[in-house]
Amino acid sequence: MAALLQVIELSKSYKLSGHWFNQKTVTALDPLSFEIQAYKTLAIIGETGSGKSTLAKLLVGAEIPSTGKVRLNGQTLNAENFKQRCQHIRMIFQDSGTTLNPSLTIRQLLDEPLKLNTTLNEAQRTQLIQDTLQKVGLLVDHMNFYPHMFSGGQKQRISLARAIILKPQVIILDEALASLDPSLRSQMINLLLDLQQQMGLAFILISHNLGIVRHFSDDMMVLADGKVVEYGKTADILNQPKHKFTQKLIMSQHFQLLHK
Amino acid sequence: MNLLDIRNLSIELHSSHNSILAVDRVSLSMKEGEVRGLVGESGSGKSLLAQAIIGVLDDRWHVHADRFHWRGRDLLRLTPEERKVVISQDVAMIFQEPMACLDPTASIGEQLEEAVNSEQLSGYFWQKSQQRKIAATKLLHKVGIKNHELCIRSYPHQLTEALCQRVMIAMALAKKPLLLIADEPTAAMENSNQGQIFRLLASLNQLKNMSILLISHDLENVTHWTDTITVMYSGQFVEAGTTKQIFTKPYHPYTRALLDSSPKANIELPAKSRLMTLPGSIPILQHLPIGCRLGPRCPRAQQECVQAPKVKNFHGHQVSCHFSLRDNY
Repeated sequence: MAALLQVIELSKSYKLSGHWFNQKTVTALDPLSFEIQAYKTLAIIGETGSGKSTLAKLLVGAEIPSTGKVRLNGQTLNAENFKQRCQHIRMIFQDSGTTLNPSLTIRQLLDEPLKLNTTLNEAQRTQLIQDTLQKVGLLVDHMNFYPHMFSGGQKQRISLARAIILKPQVIILDEALASLDPSLRSQMINLLLDLQQQMGLAFILISHNLGIVRHFSDDMMVLADGKVVEYGKTADILNQPKHKFTQKLIMSQHFQLLHK
Repeated sequence: MNLLDIRNLSIELHSSHNSILAVDRVSLSMKEGEVRGLVGESGSGKSLLAQAIIGVLDDRWHVHADRFHWRGRDLLRLTPEERKVVISQDVAMIFQEPMACLDPTASIGEQLEEAVNSEQLSGYFWQKSQQRKIAATKLLHKVGIKNHELCIRSYPHQLTEALCQRVMIAMALAKKPLLLIADEPTAAMENSNQGQIFRLLASLNQLKNMSILLISHDLENVTHWTDTITVMYSGQFVEAGTTKQIFTKPYHPYTRALLDSSPKANIELPAKSRLMTLPGSIPILQHLPIGCRLGPRCPRAQQECVQAPKVKNFHGHQVSCHFSLRDNY
């Protein structure tokens, strides 16, 4: 089976402004390659500054890669073509409270991507918004609410609704579960798993909670200083970490795993 | 003797129309040298409770309690000034987001020297500034910062978050407190840094016999570091007991659900299976259910649950539920 998303030798480096002769470059991400199938989840873990957020930005098109390319269904995605990319690769951010525009109702929020990317008329758009809200476990009446009227868990669901409304194939979760309360977090995990089964989504999960990574992902990738130190099946890596960095990361959380 | 003994503490918010019971009859006791975890999701009133202990709630909040003793002294009978003296002598608090709590315009050294208790300094006035500097350096050594010269000169934004939290702990230690209240000390911190901070707190507890009240929203993060745990939900007392009791045999359906919903605690759970969850979301303060506030979400709720349950005590394992899971084990 051909991979849904193929990343080939993707890298990012920044030029520091300097004199002509002593221009320095900072490498945020060394070239890396991976691929994801539909219905699968890839988890990316690493410390701050390890390049995991840079990778997310490159995939979603917010940054232009220095080298390499991203292929979706065998088709290379152009770095400047947002219209093509944003329909297929969507992102959910860590803090849903600040990523929703407070001056728009939920209906307007969800309407925007539809207006920009589809040719649906108004009635069809409304219908689609209602369906999507129900899919993420909200009510149709919530359409006319403003973001401040929702709790943190519900806001995260709205972000999810905004991500899935264009029927994407890949969703990137950038620490999307970290700021939620435990009981809401497990609700959200269940919802994401259900949607994955229904829609055949591929998730890229950026997280530092190894419990969630173990439960949620099929493959995982460990990043350190912009380099891939380990990449493979989640169960294999968590059971037998080979690299020192991975071992350290697991050790720092392992006591909690062993406690019971 | 109990260090801190609180019985049925309620915190009420009076507004023009109505009053809201934000914390409803919560009991908490701390022994000397104990590490107690206070666990609750957002809106459970755990931070309010900590602020009530410190006494920094403003006038809109009204605190009542059947008993509110600090080392045998009734705090509710003291005037605010007397109370401040008693509390500031023995209790210290550290907050989440240490970078936001430190003064960005002053260097770490200045802030630490400010925190040093001048009564501990001996000597003439011209010697005091030198002694203050030495005391600040010693405090930094206590929290495991070896490169004290660089640290004293730097400003909060130049340090990492874990270092800032260490500095906060150093400031809290300046008065040699008997009780340290840590309000989510590792929220928004990297995992490896979390471990560092918890290890530091554990070693302070061991070496100085300092009691620690560790507040957290996540049960799975604190279980390794605490002796006893108190669980709260939406301002109500849920369950208290030793960490082992809570973790292996939770009596309350809410604690059970918290443990079941944690993928870390259930290592045997097959990957990608559904997690156990409570339906619904945490009620907001304006619309609290009557009786047991977990009622609408609870899998075991029955008619009696509209009445708030009394706290039952089984060999030190306290639970507040009409239909506790005790008989299931």
